Amino acid sequence: MKSYEKGLWLFILLLTGSLMYAVFFLVPPAEGLGNLVRIAFFHIPVAWVSVLAFLVSAWYALRYLRRPQSRFDAISAESAKLGLIFVVLATVSGAMFSKLTWGAYWNWDPRQTTIFVLLLIYAAYLTLRSVIPDGQRRARVSAIYALFSFLTVPFLVFLIPRFYFSLHPSPLLNASCTIDMDPLMLRVLLASLVDVTCFYLTLLYHRVKEVHHHET
Amino acid sequence: MHVSLYRAIEAVFCKEMRISLRSRSSWLVVLMFALTTLSCVSLLMQGDVLSPRLAAAMIWVILFFSLLSGAGRGFADEEQMGTMTALSVYGTSQAVLFGKSLFMALLLMALAMVVLPIYLVLMDVAVFSLPVLLLTLLMGTYGMAMAGTLLSALMAGARVQNGLLPVLMLPVLLPVLLPAILLTAGCFSGETHGSYLVGIALYDAIMTAAASLLFDFLWYED
Amino acid sequence: MISLTFSNVTKRFGARTILDGFTAFLPGGCITAVTGANGSGKSTVLKLAAKLLLPDGGSILARDGDKELCKASYRSRIGLVSPDFHAYPALTARENLDFFLGFRREAPLRSREYEELLVRVGLSPDAVAGKRVGYFSTGMQQRLHFAILLAAGADVWLLDEPGANLDDAGRSMVRREARRAADEGKLVLLATNDREEEAAADACIALSGH
Repeated sequence: MKSYEKGLWLFILLLTGSLMYAVFFLVPPAEGLGNLVRIAFFHIPVAWVSVLAFLVSAWYALRYLRRPQSRFDAISAESAKLGLIFVVLATVSGAMFSKLTWGAYWNWDPRQTTIFVLLLIYAAYLTLRSVIPDGQRRARVSAIYALFSFLTVPFLVFLIPRFYFSLHPSPLLNASCTIDMDPLMLRVLLASLVDVTCFYLTLLYHRVKEVHHHET
Repeated sequence: MHVSLYRAIEAVFCKEMRISLRSRSSWLVVLMFALTTLSCVSLLMQGDVLSPRLAAAMIWVILFFSLLSGAGRGFADEEQMGTMTALSVYGTSQAVLFGKSLFMALLLMALAMVVLPIYLVLMDVAVFSLPVLLLTLLMGTYGMAMAGTLLSALMAGARVQNGLLPVLMLPVLLPVLLPAILLTAGCFSGETHGSYLVGIALYDAIMTAAASLLFDFLWYED
Repeated sequence: MISLTFSNVTKRFGARTILDGFTAFLPGGCITAVTGANGSGKSTVLKLAAKLLLPDGGSILARDGDKELCKASYRSRIGLVSPDFHAYPALTARENLDFFLGFRREAPLRSREYEELLVRVGLSPDAVAGKRVGYFSTGMQQRLHFAILLAAGADVWLLDEPGANLDDAGRSMVRREARRAADEGKLVLLATNDREEEAAADACIALSGH
């Protein structure tokens, strides 16, 4: 492991530690949600990364199709694997939040539905990879699936809120484009977004290097 | 030698048509599957009246699973007959894609035309706007067939085939199933939302363009 | 004239390396035979030449004069006869031909052309009329595959054990047609273990196997 990678891990560790402190001791309980709001500092970044991982996967799928290099395929695949873990974490933390606030783990809320579809796509993508034996064909086929399923996302973002009734707290930026949040909470939330994103990127970098090294 | 795309698509379409007409069993299996699912729903409801929304969802679920059970076999049949090599050598990508998906769309639409009247009678559902319902079916089945053809091509050469298609298909088909269900429900209840038709049309257009672009990468690997 | 260049091609299936640094130049107007024991990679060379299979390393370049052929422009010029090539069993010979030629020819074959073609590959038009290919004997199917190849006007002929399942007349038909194609400037690549076919070739590549 190179020294800058070690440095990155140390940075993530320190940031995570201080964020833990901030979330449990500094952030005030939110109006209406009470202490449960603390789950959000885990839930929101994890959900963000699960979407980000999908974007990365689709982007490298496109790059692979344009120029077939095994590194692009490795990034796409590893990003999807990490994405699956993050999307499961987001789903579980969301379900817990849902149970504690609205009394049911699952109620097909638009956001739950969207994240569930993302979960389905990740699972389908990884299953598809596992059943194709030939390396180059697998890369090509899974890249095509990643892109094809990526195209459905804009439709879902538009459709699902019309199809399912929502209880989810309004997103960070609400309709009037004003940020309606305690400034301290906002800062902690942004820091935790940075933290989890860094964590994802470092893991991705590490995994891709390992897979690539293993192959060549 | 440059052959018009239309002639090549026609060749694929006619070939699919001939082969499936000659093996009547494949039609029969899909049809019986749809009818069994239909009777299952109807029997188990024990004559209860379904809400329009639920009735609409049911018909699309039946169509979705019929697509999976047989109509969507597409390239799996080629592999089974051992004709995949021949098709890859002589076939051109766009002709194969469009010939096959148009045939699949026709098959699904024909199935819908058989299933729908029986469903309406059994479930005692009234239809307020037949043109909208037919248009929804037409556009919905086209989108399903287009996406289904590309996905079934992805699976050619996979180690496991059974059961994988639904896994791949559901996330991709949701954007057409949801508005199709809303529209169908509208036709059953009398409040139609025409804007969803635009949504399905957009989906069909984007899926057609995407499938056409991506299929080339699958067909010509070099 | 069309030509194919294999440079340093490597192909592995799992842990087995079939081809390792395979280099060859295949010119048009020439019959090139690929020989070697079972499992030495003859069929793999043909599939690679058809670009139905991608190499793990190295490159395969198809050129026509100065123009590089790839994807559709190359695929539309090849023809293949191999043990895993099958015509549609539920269609008749005529329907199969019409289907496959639907991609390569602007108009379907006229009845006379069709009958001449069948006679040329040694099928009797009366015997196959209205009969589904699934009921053909293996040799008759092989002859039909040749008919498709001929009628498609392919410039690159990839023949994998073309004489297998054929009688003496059939094998001499294969040699005759391959020679005729080569004389017309087409590229003929032949994977074979048959001495006579090997003798008919202009050049020979022996695969050692790994």
